[in-house]
Amino acid sequence: MASMPQTIPNGDGLHSGAPGGPIETRWDRHRFEMKLVNPANKRKYTVIVVGTGLAGGAAAATLGELGYNVLNFCIQDSPRRAHSVAAQGGINAAKNYPNDGDSVWRLFYDTVKGGDFRARESNVYRLAQLSVNIIDQCVAQGVPFAREYGGLLATRSFGGTQVSRTFYARGQTGQQLLLGAYGSLMRQLETGRVKMFARREMLDLVVVDGHAKGIICRNLVTGELERHAADAVVLATGGYSTAYFLSTNAVNSNATAVWRCHKRGAYFANPCFMQIHPTCIPLQGSAQSKLTLMSESLRNDGRIWVPAKKGDPRPPDQIPEAERDYFLERRYPSFGNLVPRDVASRAAKHACDEGYGVGTGQAVYLDFADAIQRLGQNVIAERYGNLFDMYREITDEDPYKLPMRIYPAPHYTMGGLWVDYNLQSTIPGLHVLGEANFSDHGANRLGASALMQGLADGYFVIPYTLGNYLAGTRPGTVRSDAPEFGEAEQKVRGVIDHLLGCRGKKTPREFHWELGRLLWDECGMSRSPEGLTQTIDKIRALRAEFWENVHVAGSGQELNQHLEYAGRVADYFELGELIAIDAQQRNESCGCHLRVDHQTPEGEPIRDDENYAYVAAWEHTGDVSKPRLHREKLEFENVHLTVRTYK
Amino acid sequence: MNTPRFRLWSSVGKKILTGLTGIALMAFIVMHLLGNLTLLVGADAFNGYTESLHELGWLVIVAELGLIALFGLHAISAVQVWLDKGKARKQHNSLMRTKGAPSKQTIASRSMIVTGAVLLVFVVVHVIQFRFGPSIEQGYVAVVDGAPARDLHRLVVETFKNPVWTGIYVAVMLLLGFHLRHGFWSAFQSIGALGPKLRPLAYSVAVVFAVAMAVGFLILPLYLFLFASVPSGAVAMAGH
Amino acid sequence: MSNARQPRSYTLRVWRQPSSTTEGKLVEYAVSDIDPDSSFLEMLDHLNENLVKKNEEPIAFDSDCREGICGTCGVCIDGRPHGPIPHVTTCALRMRDFADRSTIVVEPFRAKSFPVVKDLVVDRSAFDRIIEAGGYVSVNAGSAPEANMIPIGKDIAESAMDSAVCIGCGACVASCPNASASLFVGAKMRQMVLLPQGAVERKHRALAMVERMDREGFGDCSNHGECEAACPKAISIENIATLRREYMKAIFR
Repeated sequence: MASMPQTIPNGDGLHSGAPGGPIETRWDRHRFEMKLVNPANKRKYTVIVVGTGLAGGAAAATLGELGYNVLNFCIQDSPRRAHSVAAQGGINAAKNYPNDGDSVWRLFYDTVKGGDFRARESNVYRLAQLSVNIIDQCVAQGVPFAREYGGLLATRSFGGTQVSRTFYARGQTGQQLLLGAYGSLMRQLETGRVKMFARREMLDLVVVDGHAKGIICRNLVTGELERHAADAVVLATGGYSTAYFLSTNAVNSNATAVWRCHKRGAYFANPCFMQIHPTCIPLQGSAQSKLTLMSESLRNDGRIWVPAKKGDPRPPDQIPEAERDYFLERRYPSFGNLVPRDVASRAAKHACDEGYGVGTGQAVYLDFADAIQRLGQNVIAERYGNLFDMYREITDEDPYKLPMRIYPAPHYTMGGLWVDYNLQSTIPGLHVLGEANFSDHGANRLGASALMQGLADGYFVIPYTLGNYLAGTRPGTVRSDAPEFGEAEQKVRGVIDHLLGCRGKKTPREFHWELGRLLWDECGMSRSPEGLTQTIDKIRALRAEFWENVHVAGSGQELNQHLEYAGRVADYFELGELIAIDAQQRNESCGCHLRVDHQTPEGEPIRDDENYAYVAAWEHTGDVSKPRLHREKLEFENVHLTVRTYK
Repeated sequence: MNTPRFRLWSSVGKKILTGLTGIALMAFIVMHLLGNLTLLVGADAFNGYTESLHELGWLVIVAELGLIALFGLHAISAVQVWLDKGKARKQHNSLMRTKGAPSKQTIASRSMIVTGAVLLVFVVVHVIQFRFGPSIEQGYVAVVDGAPARDLHRLVVETFKNPVWTGIYVAVMLLLGFHLRHGFWSAFQSIGALGPKLRPLAYSVAVVFAVAMAVGFLILPLYLFLFASVPSGAVAMAGH
Repeated sequence: MSNARQPRSYTLRVWRQPSSTTEGKLVEYAVSDIDPDSSFLEMLDHLNENLVKKNEEPIAFDSDCREGICGTCGVCIDGRPHGPIPHVTTCALRMRDFADRSTIVVEPFRAKSFPVVKDLVVDRSAFDRIIEAGGYVSVNAGSAPEANMIPIGKDIAESAMDSAVCIGCGACVASCPNASASLFVGAKMRQMVLLPQGAVERKHRALAMVERMDREGFGDCSNHGECEAACPKAISIENIATLRREYMKAIFR
């Protein structure tokens, strides 16, 4: 059972701890088999939850509801601002309200296939089962989902599926779901069972006798380092796309918490599985700080095309129908514009690399002219109004009149800290939820599944599995004056002092930009063995330079955003190398991971199930350049491994 | 904290109070204006109107106490809102500008406390001047329905033959217009009576209402100043 | 194409305040080589990079998603929260909307309930504490009924959504001559009362949220309606009318 430390025999054979038996009953059986904490004893346990997004916020609220003492941390000034807020399109659930053939099985199947058979079956099936409860929960919280005229919930379609199972609240579904979780969290604050620590950045995990027992965080307002002890730690700090410098993530999203846990012994799984989202607004200027995503839901009504002639200089409205190449519809007739993200991104990159790109050459058109003609501008405005407004604000062009220009951008990381079926990492007591873990999306995440996973983990998985862990421990055994806290704090202070004392010539931003370019070019939409080898060397060299030549302004005893940023960039360098190493070891193409040496002549990926149907979980050995690989073999008992095709 | 007293004196409670009293006061000034318009008809009509009010007896006292309460509550709650405003932002930015429509921030809305304060002083002066001004005992006697009554008409005319008083009244009535331009729709908004359709309507009607009240009231002193003859009653009574 | 437009330069007058306990002042900076397509915050990023290179302290300002949804960013630009353009947040504001060589005054969202933390960063945790008082439906995870059990009219759901789009940025407070939080509170209250799930607790919610709002030191609302103009999500003062109605129902029933 997962309350025991994971046994890792010899660099291989990492086990998920998922129960066997028919997949439909695994979660039920597991829930029954897990230990419970007596209601009267729950308040004796203290749990740290880091992060207040869909996973962390839902977890903190739910653990509070159950009666645990929860200490909840977030980097933002308010828990309501966690980056889940920016998710636009929707949340999947196997409700089958449209009566179009959906089921838990189909959502399960679509997700495993969408992830190109690199996800764990048991976890995905549980996710599909819980999806229906999530919608119930959110409606009860007062989330204003879109509705049909009859008053029942509306759905729309997303990429990689042929059913309509995505529930949404205009283009702000993430915001509304997050505010639902935030409301529940605030309610627990009022009861006193949850204590909120905003503007705190977790900088280290404290491990005592092999168990996670606390964190070191920096109070971002005063600069003070704080020690917080607990009986267990739940990490829900999101993904690490920001390592690429330009991504769709928020500017404060970062990898520091997961990375420091990794360095304390948590294995990092599939770091190279990085989702590049096809529909983002292309890069415009050199000063740009981030890329903006346009919801995948746009592909319901928008058609993607490039001119059929290379370098066609004509404006889009003057290119006749016959001289356009609707390349997704042409290449993937059965899914058309609704192919999964990895497929759409790759096709767009392919078109641009071949010289068919529009605008700067790094863009393709997403055209609504047909839909506007068919449905009228009002209907389109009702469905996507806020996205169209956003596009106009950024580009100064009217998407009702001209097609949008889009290009892929780093968006989501399927990789993350390795967790077992109980969402526990390889450090007992450290549980990892949401995007921060690796578990459910394999090598590619389907649209509208991130919200589903975050909330499933937070509302419906961790409340059970954490109890199972806690039931095997005595409460309050470790206090923040334990020597392990002192050691961790000292280490954190050392890094901060070094960064502040360095006084070099380059800013963290300049380093980050260079690292981002390296990762984007060689660990982006296509990867080559030679390129990866070179990239690893370049990252190492740049990292060495960083530690000698970085310039950080201000002091450590105040609000110092520049220092915060420098610390995050330092971690991106180490993580960036691991991303490249992971991409290098996986000698196959799967999902988002396209290796140029493993593809068909048409550019379709070739998977190697014989040798690579495993999760690559990396152990930190003390030397970031020499991580140790552990493999969790993936068993497919319910889904047949097939060539993933959307033709 | 959630005692009924606190609830009415909370930020929202005060605003509801200000709104309700404001609506009542607006009803009052409409009545007051309609009554005063009898001045345009003549002395008998006006004195007949004022005497008919007098004949209500103790009801007059009740009405007057009610009005005092309305003015008082309206003023106190509004002053409190203004004081809280000062507390809610101690340090100010160097610039603070309106973003334009749909903002309803105007000179009128920003000067409510000033126009309100002027109106309060005015009301006191106005009451002293006319309610407690010279009456039958001081020889201001008119005949209404065959009985002697207070000749308020004469007092009014005498007052507004004075260009200073006329000037003051006209100026204050202009300020009343400003006060009502924001106050009219704001009062209904404050009690939550305005939905998305009514709000633009109320906001426009407020202009009409404000102009009607201001013009209605200031026409009287101007008319009397320019056109009224010196009251005959004064001469007749002087002979006694 | 807009990309071809010339880089611009500006004179900035920025509020600098080392900490909540120290005095602040406006400090003038020159910025040049600004791409008109870059955002207002990217312009500040650019200035900060230059300040760091000159060994000066960069300007502290809050931002996160940089696409107008998280509500983290927000400064007063020439006296207007989120700047001159309606319905955008500071992060979504583009430099093409500022004339070349103009002077721009940048100050924090100002209210007693939003104390300055540093430079342009303010503490808006008062908003969280108002929500804590009752801005939610009291429902535990796991206890929810089937989602389609209670039909909700499309128009009602849309109307609730119009209120629910609030991002909690605080522009309503910053723009209000009285520093009132009525629009923020009203929007949450209206979302909740329109939906049957939220209507159950309406009385307690109205009293508790108003009581908390007052205790946090926000001013009273004088119906200037400036908040609606300043709101990046165009939330209507209809929500303030709802707040009053809810409050009246709560105290008189």
